[in-house]
Amino acid sequence: MASLSLRTLVRPAIPVAPRIQPLIAAFSTTSLLAAGPPAVKSRKDLPKKTKKTYKKKQNIVPVKKPGPGERKAFRKRIQLSNNSALPVTGIESLEAQTMAREESGGKMFAVPDQVVDQLRALEAFKTTQTWNLFRKPHVLVRKETVELMSKLDASVEKKEAFKCLGQDLTNGNTEFSPVPDTEPMQFTQPVYCLKLIQNIYKANKAVLEKTPLKMDWSRLTGLKQGATLADLALSAKESEFAWPTLSALWTELTQPGQPPVLLTLDGLAHINKVSAYRDPSFNIVHAHELLLVRTFVDALSGKTKLPNGGAVIAATSENNTHYHPSQELVLSQLEAGQAGREVPKPNAYEKKYDDRVYDALKNSQVIRLEGVSKDEARVLMEYWGASGMLRRALDSKAVAEKWALGGHGIVGEMERASLMTMRM
Amino acid sequence: MATIASGLRHARCASSIAAAQWRPSILPRSSFQLAIRSITSDSQKPPSLELEAAESVPIPYQGVTHARVVPATPSYFSREPQFNDLYIGISKLLTKYNHLPTVPPSEAPQMPWTKLEEMRAQMGEPIKSSHYAKVMRVAKRLNLIEPSLRPQEVKVALTEFTRDINPFLNMPNPITIDKFGRAVGVGKRKESTARAFVVEGTGEILVNGKTLSEAFGRVHDRESAVWALTATERLDKYNVWVLVEGGGTTGQAEAITLAVAKALVAHEPALKTALRRAGCITRDPRTVERKKHGHVKARKMPAWVKR
Repeated sequence: MASLSLRTLVRPAIPVAPRIQPLIAAFSTTSLLAAGPPAVKSRKDLPKKTKKTYKKKQNIVPVKKPGPGERKAFRKRIQLSNNSALPVTGIESLEAQTMAREESGGKMFAVPDQVVDQLRALEAFKTTQTWNLFRKPHVLVRKETVELMSKLDASVEKKEAFKCLGQDLTNGNTEFSPVPDTEPMQFTQPVYCLKLIQNIYKANKAVLEKTPLKMDWSRLTGLKQGATLADLALSAKESEFAWPTLSALWTELTQPGQPPVLLTLDGLAHINKVSAYRDPSFNIVHAHELLLVRTFVDALSGKTKLPNGGAVIAATSENNTHYHPSQELVLSQLEAGQAGREVPKPNAYEKKYDDRVYDALKNSQVIRLEGVSKDEARVLMEYWGASGMLRRALDSKAVAEKWALGGHGIVGEMERASLMTMRM
Repeated sequence: MATIASGLRHARCASSIAAAQWRPSILPRSSFQLAIRSITSDSQKPPSLELEAAESVPIPYQGVTHARVVPATPSYFSREPQFNDLYIGISKLLTKYNHLPTVPPSEAPQMPWTKLEEMRAQMGEPIKSSHYAKVMRVAKRLNLIEPSLRPQEVKVALTEFTRDINPFLNMPNPITIDKFGRAVGVGKRKESTARAFVVEGTGEILVNGKTLSEAFGRVHDRESAVWALTATERLDKYNVWVLVEGGGTTGQAEAITLAVAKALVAHEPALKTALRRAGCITRDPRTVERKKHGHVKARKMPAWVKR
């Protein structure tokens, strides 16, 4: 009892768990300071000699650790210019009709600043690309680019652009919520939708501000008569209203008389699979049940008509993908049909075919992209040389070497082989 | 003992004299003559002192130049005469055929000369390396005689200085270019084996059906795979189709280097020296060292434990 009462009197400055406190200390009635120096009982208790060091103490500055999120921000940062690189002169600027012209195939073009801002808003630049090695963003217009752009040529120059990333939508990394009264249950991704609306607004501000609303959305938002699409996009301040606003925007854009729309998506294989989401009864959710994906797929399959013209482009690659039998089958069938070859038949022993994927893709056209040709590679390498990135003489042998090392003209690999390896 | 031996000396039969007094050679000599010239038997009769018989008495020692038996070879009195005999024989041949025309050493036929160790084992004699070098110098000089004019005697003599197996005859089959214009080269490194099919083309390279960037993640490996073509500036002149298996990425890439180089030499034999200088001809013999018992790995010993 005595120990308990004493402990209550002399409290340590920092509260310590009572169990950890040594029991012996509790029995002392004198304070530590009053006790004086400890008695010398053996040689161990004698004051030890300390070696004097005559070395000058170095001024050690503690390493400043990066703050939370700083490293990730550095990793994800997109740098589009480099003042150490030489400016390249004599390159035309990219205009609205440039890419569709036949003669611009196999040439470099400078991307205008305003387009750079739009592309940045749409997250078209990636961290893995080497934009930071050059003074300004330039692009090589390939033969296939001209082919694609001439297909889009029918549409008017003013375009709305949406861009989604298939992987982000289905890997379960963004929030989702079920839509009430739907059978089978459908889901929205409010946070992603809000971000998408903001990106659409940033990238297409000029067009959206000029386009008035055709329908009455006063029930959804407090918009007055004569409001524009930009006002509609801006009316979504919180993620709860993101999906209704986005669907309203999409409904507006599909009305006759509105500007044409370009819908693009990267990572097609990721939206054709069973997503990582689960419904409230823990059943798996197919990616096509996510409303944002559904909107895109409907546009891709032609279920949603685009009365004003426009294009829906989905991209898939061999790198960021997974084995998807039905997608591969559909694409190979479409390709064979376009080339006039014999259409491949489905494998009778394959169980994992997905009819939804077949329906989504059956009306589309396929363009297979390979690496750049040697002539295009030479143009690209001349641009690198003009930027001061290539030191060696540029002849056909150098082009052939880098073309082969880059896996038959894959631009990223060519950059790795020639720009990112240090040659002393 | 010595007295008994000397007493019995005259009782020795001739055959015991004829028998070799040295160790029989490992290589049986083809023709070994008793190296003694004997004094004629009639010279052993003492001349008669009678005068009437003086005319009929033959004059002794006629036709005899030496008072005692003379050995046929100077190495008769040495304990180990075989190597010396070899030297004497070959020197005689050289003096005999010194006048014959010779070829430069680079054009002389390649001979698998017997090594010093082998020679010692064959002869069963301790041969000094300096002596061996002397003999080999003479043998190599004889080898320089123009092959078409070389006497049979020399050829036979030189076989004494060569090994039974001629590794220089062990030539790999030459790589041919088939009717499709392909040359197939095989290269190895570590555990990897590569077969490269090289045809004239535009510089496309496929490794196991994949492009270089798909086959090798490291740029260094890609570069070493095509190094034979890069070093000779032929990258845009040929197409290469490679099958490679076994080992890791580095081994596979360097096996491809060797395979491509061999196939390239079949197309353009003049490139061989350039490729050798680039290090694409010689196979790297380094492989994983085997593990030994008592060791943790090839060399690593277990840690010391107290008791």
